[in-house]
Amino acid sequence: MKVLVLNCGSSSVKFQVIETSLEMIEANSDVTLAKGSVERIGMSDSRLTLDVPERKPYQEIAEILEHRAAVERVLAALVHPEHGVLKRVDEIEAAGHRVVHGGEKFASSVLVTPEVEEMIEECVVLAPLHNPHNLRGLRAARGLLAKVPHVAVFDTAFHQSMPPHAYLYGLPYELYTRHAIRRYGFHGTSHRYVAIRTAALLGRPLEELRVVTCHLGNGCSMAAVKLGHSVDTTMGFTPLEGLLMGTRTGDLDPAVLPWLMAMEELTLAQLNALLNKHSGLYGISGVSSDMREIQAATAAGNRRAALAFEMFCYRIRKYIGGYAAAMDGIDAVTFTGGIGENSAPVRERSTTGLGFLGLELDAAANAALPFGSAAVVSTPASRAAIVVVPTNEERVIARDTVRVLGGVMPSFSVPGTEAPR
Amino acid sequence: MKELELHRIAVIGGGMMGRSIATRVSQAGLTAVVCEITAERAAEVKAILTDTLNHWIDRWAITKSEEKAILSRIEFTADLDRAARCDVVIETIQENLEDKRDLLARLDEMVAPDVPVIVNTSTLSISELAQGLTHPQRIVGMHFLYPVTETRVAEVVRGQVTTDEAFEIVRNFARVLGKVPIEEFESPGFVATRVVLPLINEAVHVVMEGVATAAEVDLCIKLGYEFRTGPLEWADRVGLHKILIWLEYLFRETGDPKFRPCPLLRKMVRAGHTGARKGTGFFSYDAERNRLDRLPDDTPRLA
Repeated sequence: MKVLVLNCGSSSVKFQVIETSLEMIEANSDVTLAKGSVERIGMSDSRLTLDVPERKPYQEIAEILEHRAAVERVLAALVHPEHGVLKRVDEIEAAGHRVVHGGEKFASSVLVTPEVEEMIEECVVLAPLHNPHNLRGLRAARGLLAKVPHVAVFDTAFHQSMPPHAYLYGLPYELYTRHAIRRYGFHGTSHRYVAIRTAALLGRPLEELRVVTCHLGNGCSMAAVKLGHSVDTTMGFTPLEGLLMGTRTGDLDPAVLPWLMAMEELTLAQLNALLNKHSGLYGISGVSSDMREIQAATAAGNRRAALAFEMFCYRIRKYIGGYAAAMDGIDAVTFTGGIGENSAPVRERSTTGLGFLGLELDAAANAALPFGSAAVVSTPASRAAIVVVPTNEERVIARDTVRVLGGVMPSFSVPGTEAPR
Repeated sequence: MKELELHRIAVIGGGMMGRSIATRVSQAGLTAVVCEITAERAAEVKAILTDTLNHWIDRWAITKSEEKAILSRIEFTADLDRAARCDVVIETIQENLEDKRDLLARLDEMVAPDVPVIVNTSTLSISELAQGLTHPQRIVGMHFLYPVTETRVAEVVRGQVTTDEAFEIVRNFARVLGKVPIEEFESPGFVATRVVLPLINEAVHVVMEGVATAAEVDLCIKLGYEFRTGPLEWADRVGLHKILIWLEYLFRETGDPKFRPCPLLRKMVRAGHTGARKGTGFFSYDAERNRLDRLPDDTPRLA
């Protein structure tokens, strides 16, 4: 089945066309027929790119003012006689959509109905920066592809298996019941995918493994995946908590916030921008939010860049230890995402000294690992494995679309573990 | 008048208010066309605005790439005709009846009849400004409170002949900018200015009478009513000459003695002590307009 996967941001639409089926999922043999994006939506010089394997990338610049027009453009490009990959739009049999926040309403990927759309709308208050755009793209696509089923895949769903003692904050309980303030976690599709790939790579069933997954990209988060279920994750109510990120603080004493607002006379908008856009690797180093540049500056002797690198890896190491405790042990640590897949120094530094947990890195194999490959990089003697797996969130979305339509989509909620109401 | 899609917004006049409106327009994802009287002046406005944005980066309000994005959606021009071809036209020139009327007369012919023309004013009469135009029905008053990028409200004002269509487009425009529009009918000073001026004027009287020092009057009101700044510092930041003009105007219009400008205010304006921009008003300020002479008790509240 050909599935159109859409990921809509505020001014961009990323898309892929993936050929997949229940049999192809089993064989891990899904095929990406095309991928691309529309950037700068709302401007007079929006840019559509289309990447088809073994062809030169195709690009067009045009005025694309809103998401519906962007999706229209994508469909037109896909059936373009010269650059496209489809003869007709109705070759697309289903569409899968990334939705960032599913709140407590969605513990699984679901078929989109008007009721589901309304429930996603209700989650806007939890993710005002993401859900409105996801929803805009979803509505545009449902309008343009009215005859095919649409499936929503949530970043938060996989983490809905966390127990209350892991997802609640130490705030008055009414704030949870009134505003649903709790840890949700993000990057769920990625954590789930790489946990599954890790088990496949180790040749062991996921249901027997305790895996710590590290998604290190623009945003960074880790998850404790115990016997296939997420039991804890570093991101919280928003994607700001946890690890140090490119421009985000990660964990921070909340008392710093009112103090800063008073002393620096910051507005709410300034405070939000400070925490989300001026902090992290960039804020510490003053050099860059990009790990490659941090490593280059560190090599050139920049001490603040070196400090940023050390802080980044230290937090990962700390959480690996914490999650080993949370899962009564550890069988594997998996690295993924732009940094996790590409930075051998980050993988090395983040696992240094963890021999007591049975984690021993094969430094040579780690350093020699080619870009974009999946491999075990721990020593043969290491009791627990250190693994690198390229993530592929679009593939998960396409697969979930097929699973939902085939009636075999599992729910991630664990019945009987709900918090008291 | 059909429901217009708003893409390009003309801002005529690149003063403090014009720059602030243009920035907010751009942040909302629309394009602002800032029109000045000469190309040199337009370039100067761009430089001043860039300076302001750089200052914001230092204050963690925006990032370098956001600054770039904001500037990419603001055009600076001296070509009034280019501005006149936008989806909405806002004038933000000096608060002076004659100047505004001259500009509106020129725009009357240049701007398509179904495009609303917004007069940015806190005191002038929309109806009087619209009088004699061929298309007076599309003139709508709007009072943005400074800084436009932060305040959450805008007064949207109907003149005597403003049509519902024009009014609705402007009210929708306020929403697009993230402002709560307050619908008002024309009246001197509208709501925001009329309510705040007597407070400021009274504070000046209190200082003149020697009841308390300016710093103490401000601190009392600021802490007592949880204002972000006291009324006198606020007046300093607006410019005391502007406060004086508004008071004189409201006094003239209403004849109500509560708007009679306090003699001390007049004296300070005559002495050129007009506030933060000049470095001296009720308080003193450095070149970045940071206040220099705060009382020891005027500290942030930490607990």
